[in-house]
Amino acid sequence: MATSDSLGQFEQLVLTAILALREDAYGVTIHSKVEELTGRRSVSLGAVYVTLDRLEDKGLISSWLSDPTAERGGRAKRCYTLEALGERALQESAATARRIWDVIAEVWGKDWAREWGKRWGREAR
Amino acid sequence: MGKRGEVTSSAPSKLAEIFIELLVPPACREEVIGDLHERYTTRQRYFLDAVSVVPLVILSRIRRVADPQALLMEAMVLYLSFTAGAWFQDRTFLHQEIAFLRSAIPAVIVVFASVVEDAYSTSGRRQMTKLFRGPLLGIGAAYLSQTVLSLGSGALALPRWGMLYGSGLGLLFASILRIGFPPIVDRPLGAGGPAF
Repeated sequence: MATSDSLGQFEQLVLTAILALREDAYGVTIHSKVEELTGRRSVSLGAVYVTLDRLEDKGLISSWLSDPTAERGGRAKRCYTLEALGERALQESAATARRIWDVIAEVWGKDWAREWGKRWGREAR
Repeated sequence: MGKRGEVTSSAPSKLAEIFIELLVPPACREEVIGDLHERYTTRQRYFLDAVSVVPLVILSRIRRVADPQALLMEAMVLYLSFTAGAWFQDRTFLHQEIAFLRSAIPAVIVVFASVVEDAYSTSGRRQMTKLFRGPLLGIGAAYLSQTVLSLGSGALALPRWGMLYGSGLGLLFASILRIGFPPIVDRPLGAGGPAF
């Protein structure tokens, strides 16, 4: 059974992208969202496909083919959605990230945490 | 018209798409070709996208269909078949230098061809012919490699009749193994063990 322990950072990013995109989660949009989440760093589309396959094998996400569209040359999209196991794994990852953040903020001080909080806020905008 | 009189279009050329379509395994062809089409802006970008996507998609498909344990068994069976075939023809074969390497070459080629064939075959109804197709193609490829090896000094090639006996034995045993351990996509859901 898959747990968040077996989730890599890239897997967490892909799961987050699927969560954020809701019904519009397919290869191209997931790739764009992952690039956005990594801070506009270039991410290979191939790496996204590999990760999606792996997450589907772990039972964290499921997929289906949509109707073909003209903008895609008459090809269908493979849409993805989070499964209950995927949601739980993502929640555990977020909780772990929160704990890491709390420890770092405790050691490096509240000023550092406030400054980083502001910087992230600016980047998010 | 784009810069320097270059003709630009909003879709990739049909020829390029057909070429990439042939490279992408059928199981993920629809979405991959569609995504590449949607991302198309220039010919160069399309080419770079395809180069970065196609190898990874093939490897991912191979990972999904291949069962390492079954592959190891298949490799072992083929290796022993080719060794036995060569030994049957020439009883001194096993005492020759690099004899075991010579038997390993066709075995590795057959396994590799089987894996690639599985990755490119469409999942669905389980057909007996589909199970034999991989090893058959592999043996064809192994014969081709033996011909190439014979063109040189021939030191790495197996004796001709040994190769023939080995192919027969290998095909028989590999096919039996594949009936028991079909590619992962052809197994019933939740089945991990042999399909006997």
